[in-house]
Amino acid sequence: MRRRWFFLGALFFCFWGLWVLEANPVELIPNQGGQKAAADFVLSALHPAFDYEDSELQGGEISFLSKVLHALWTTVKYALVAMSLALVIGLIGGVLGSRAWWSESRFSLEVLRIGVRLIATAARSVHELLWAILFLAAFGTSPLVAVLAMSLPYGGTLAKVFSELFDEADGSAAEVIRATGGSGLVAFFAGIMTRSLPDLATYALYRLECAIRSSAVLGFVGIPTMGYEIKTAFEDGHYREIWTYVYVLLIVVVFFEWWGSRIRSLLSKGVTSPLSEEKDQSLTDLWKGRGRSTFLRASLVLIFLGMIAGWVTEDHWGAGVKWEQRVKNLERFGGELVPYSVQEAHGDWSQLTPWIESKMSAEGAEAVWRTFHLGTSSILLAGAVSLVVILASARTLASRAPRGIRSGGGFLREAFGMFLRGSAMLARAMPEYILAFLLLQVFGPTIWVLIFALAIHNGGILVRLGAEVVDNTSSQASEVILSQGGSRASAFWSTLLPASFNRLILFLFYRWESCIREATVLGMLGVSSLGFLISNAKTAFYYDEMILWVFLGAVLVFVGDVSSDLVRGRLRR
Amino acid sequence: MMLDFQSVTLRYGGIVALSELDLKIEQGEQVCLIGPSGAGKSSFLGLCNGRIQATNGKVILHDRDFGQTRGKELTRLRSQIAWIPQDLGLITNLRVNQNVACGRAGQKGFWKLLMSLLWMGRGEQQVVSQLLERVGIAEKIFARVDHLSGGQQQRVAIARALYQEPRVILADEPVSAVDPERARSLVELLTTVAREEAITLVMSLHDRHLAQRFFDRVIGLRDGKVVFDGAPNDERVQELYRLD
Repeated sequence: MRRRWFFLGALFFCFWGLWVLEANPVELIPNQGGQKAAADFVLSALHPAFDYEDSELQGGEISFLSKVLHALWTTVKYALVAMSLALVIGLIGGVLGSRAWWSESRFSLEVLRIGVRLIATAARSVHELLWAILFLAAFGTSPLVAVLAMSLPYGGTLAKVFSELFDEADGSAAEVIRATGGSGLVAFFAGIMTRSLPDLATYALYRLECAIRSSAVLGFVGIPTMGYEIKTAFEDGHYREIWTYVYVLLIVVVFFEWWGSRIRSLLSKGVTSPLSEEKDQSLTDLWKGRGRSTFLRASLVLIFLGMIAGWVTEDHWGAGVKWEQRVKNLERFGGELVPYSVQEAHGDWSQLTPWIESKMSAEGAEAVWRTFHLGTSSILLAGAVSLVVILASARTLASRAPRGIRSGGGFLREAFGMFLRGSAMLARAMPEYILAFLLLQVFGPTIWVLIFALAIHNGGILVRLGAEVVDNTSSQASEVILSQGGSRASAFWSTLLPASFNRLILFLFYRWESCIREATVLGMLGVSSLGFLISNAKTAFYYDEMILWVFLGAVLVFVGDVSSDLVRGRLRR
Repeated sequence: MMLDFQSVTLRYGGIVALSELDLKIEQGEQVCLIGPSGAGKSSFLGLCNGRIQATNGKVILHDRDFGQTRGKELTRLRSQIAWIPQDLGLITNLRVNQNVACGRAGQKGFWKLLMSLLWMGRGEQQVVSQLLERVGIAEKIFARVDHLSGGQQQRVAIARALYQEPRVILADEPVSAVDPERARSLVELLTTVAREEAITLVMSLHDRHLAQRFFDRVIGLRDGKVVFDGAPNDERVQELYRLD
């Protein structure tokens, strides 16, 4: 009954959102001129460029492929450097935001814990693209600004997740250490931190993959990463070059996902000793024959070296701008943040409230409302589609012997399942912002572009998470249905889905929060929502307005974050 | 006198977990706590290492009252008491030698423990290896704990307790999750080692046959009260379970 109400509620919210967003399906058909441009753009995907499309640049000093590789390294480099900072922030914030290291409960520690968690949530409430815009406006262009813009929200996210991992870790080993004379710090380090290490590494690796996507997207605000090249190629009308960059980015992100999953598996399962451990073996022999993975060690060393190389190989972190100039920029920016009406009234801050009211009633409230519905409708759409895709792609269903029961359907079903899993991988590898940018070239400036971009990326993630849940759900009822000649669909809808329902909804809320966050910036591509207002204010140098919209976006994400946490907490219980 | 319970009462809110306990345990004694679930065995063990504070009365270890001991003195006191909880409290994603090293976490402090975990010296490896040999799993010294069987994990927990060089070992139903034959061999191992090292052993068990076979003294608990305290062949041991 509760499930039925949930589905009905989701359906209602999805269509209500589409109605608020004025998403008319007719807009999906481009006009005559648009159709030609869209067709050109889509067809060029079949012929990615291997050289400059501009013949004047061909045969020049720097080849096109070198340019692509350089943009790729810059993208990965900024992601690695940002993650190195975010890890420091995340570890410190994660420890301070958890209860796991306390020897005893104290009011001051509780205040510190809540304070750190609030700061972490606030830092991640502002999208990295918005941090970048703010920092660029405040300090001027420099690679360090891009890195800081990523490391703040990523550090906040890591701090939040790490503190949850510490608090949820099995504390029995720490309790033994404390009971046998170890201090709170020693018990935390040896009993909690070591035990959480595989989970911490798993999450950090996932964030590294996200950081590569974010780093690429930062190119759209002028940082020389993949996004910058894609944007420039579009402005020059070089569609084939766009696709080259997109494919290279996809390959790299998919590679990082594969790499991360292998490291995760090795960390959590360990490696058994290849030799039989005999009783009379010497310590040296046992040490030499212990289970270890060269791949794991090499990977961790490579990531560490990559982070150092990222820091060392950038010559112009400050872009050659002197410190005094940056301070001047900051002062100017600080002055421009003061609302126009307050400036007009010679610093009379009583003008602030009427100014905010006028901005909100003119466009702010509507933009917040539309952004909320954009995130919500998109994730519900993604959820609905992914339910069907999970049925056809989960490994335990898309096989000749679903749930171990031999059944009809053979190679084609397995191949189709594999195709769907591959498509989901590509969908989640593509950053929403770049996806929206590409769809914009096909469909033109319609809200559907943003909805599809969010739904495709998040659908890819939901399919993966959902299929894993379904594969790991033990359900004898489903096996009974299949052995009695029932279809895979019957087994899925009537037994597997109800059995894994809570976990699937948990993932839906987890992605809803991310969708809201992403929805705050997608409007910057030119479609009405908060991001659109931010983009307009930035272009007009109305920094007072810009900060108001950024703040509103942060509040929206903050509320989404907290409510998603509450719902997920309840579902877990 | 090793452990001295003087009129100890323990309450959790309105529930009395232990009531007016008066008993003494001598150095090197092998004591088994038996009784049905909820009798107060785990609470008793919790009082023995000061994890739980008595509501009334005193728990005295080596002339030190746990209720009055704080800071370094408490750390020193606790470092003499090893504890093997029901779930063993092992760090399953670490190797056996690293888990054993945690037995001296209280004595080592942060940096020395960090070094042991990251890069255990040859000397320490030898000591750990000898201990593991004693508990019968020397060849598993560098294996990950989650690659070991349940029985082998219990032996790791015993080795960790012995590495602490304790004067008391507290074991809270350490064999509840293994088959009877394995349970017998583990209880035998623990009692033998404790006897050889003159370590006081206080273990809670469900199985009265094991208690009667391996221990010098059996304390029967029911509803937080000592029902009997004496030799393992006491008839009242059977009585305790018959009434359950």
